[in-house]
Amino acid sequence: MKNTRVVIFLAFVLLATAVTLLVFYNLGYIFYFPASSDDRSPAQPIAFSHRLHAGERGIHCEYCHRSARISSTAGVPDVALCRSCHMYIAADRPVIKDLSRYWIEGRPIPWVRVHRLPDFAFFPHRMHLNAGVYCDQCHGNVAAMDRVERVSGLNMGWCLDCHRRKSASIDCWTCHR
Amino acid sequence: MNQAESDNAAYHWGMVIDLDRCTGCGACVVACQAENNVPTVGETLCSQGREMQWIRIERYWEGQYPEVRARFIPLLCQHCDNAPCEPVCPVYASYHTSEGLNGQVYNRCVGTRYCANNCPFSARVFNFFEPEWPEPLNNQLSPDLTVRSKGVMEKCTFCIQRIRRGKEDAKLEGRPVRDEDIVPACAQTCAPGAIVFGNMADPESRAFRLARSKRRFRLLEDLGTEPSVIYLKGGGREDD
Repeated sequence: MKNTRVVIFLAFVLLATAVTLLVFYNLGYIFYFPASSDDRSPAQPIAFSHRLHAGERGIHCEYCHRSARISSTAGVPDVALCRSCHMYIAADRPVIKDLSRYWIEGRPIPWVRVHRLPDFAFFPHRMHLNAGVYCDQCHGNVAAMDRVERVSGLNMGWCLDCHRRKSASIDCWTCHR
Repeated sequence: MNQAESDNAAYHWGMVIDLDRCTGCGACVVACQAENNVPTVGETLCSQGREMQWIRIERYWEGQYPEVRARFIPLLCQHCDNAPCEPVCPVYASYHTSEGLNGQVYNRCVGTRYCANNCPFSARVFNFFEPEWPEPLNNQLSPDLTVRSKGVMEKCTFCIQRIRRGKEDAKLEGRPVRDEDIVPACAQTCAPGAIVFGNMADPESRAFRLARSKRRFRLLEDLGTEPSVIYLKGGGREDD
């Protein structure tokens, strides 16, 4: 009788520990990756369509993302670059008027980041472009997306798969430093 | 990475520090602090021996008063080829790269501090508390490397972000790395030019030639850790 009680008590303690650990583990996970993987296509302040620009109009990625080939970051274009075309093209549309307001007020457009790496991972765009790994291999067929959606996992195993396939460096200090 | 493999690598990074040139000014310490996002810990923690410097100046007195002279040794991670810090890390955060560097992966580190305790040079520093970057210090943080958080061990990396950049630039231009491509912050700022960084696997590099000097020695050589940092001392004429 006494033994049964002890067993029940121990089982209860084990269960409670397991539940607590599980909850905290998940909490830790959520806080560790704040821009959680759930929203792969967040709403943007301006309904910019990559399908229209890169797809139908055939504007090259690097026309707007200008530093991709020469720098670590691909570069989000400033309002001036948007305006250099839209001063003349479709300037009377409501969406473009929204865009012009940012220019008049002298504010940058608060784009919402879609592809976010942790702060301890470094991805040099220029090395990948120059090695022949083009935009679509990680970013998917952006030219068919109205609102950009993240199609890749962007986790370390996903990086390493490709690095192994292409015999690129898998030394820790290549990406973490 | 075993010894034979790293011997055959195209790069083996090393550093030569000429103690006859060092004036002990401490510019390297400041440059390192600024380049590598090394936090300042404040007066209290400093007095408890928890100051964070990836490179520090050790001072020694030579001779008896009044014939006395101060000698300085800039001391940084020696990037030992047979590093005592590496085998003790339970999570492989401290590891050896194929280029002879002693790596530290911050995102792997769980803060056991075993590596620092096993380092005969006390070259490693630990983030005992969450580092603070009060305005306007936060504006000078380098985006090229991680800002470490509480519970993480850190140390000199030979400015890995500059090594990466130098190698990337060289690769894009389709040539091997040259001496001038990679200059760590301490070497860049050293006014008397006492610190020379270079590729020890390249017999043409300046560091390689300096390392063959008759004045060469390495710290605690009897321990057999095979440091990659070579000191020159002996006074008199330079034999470079």
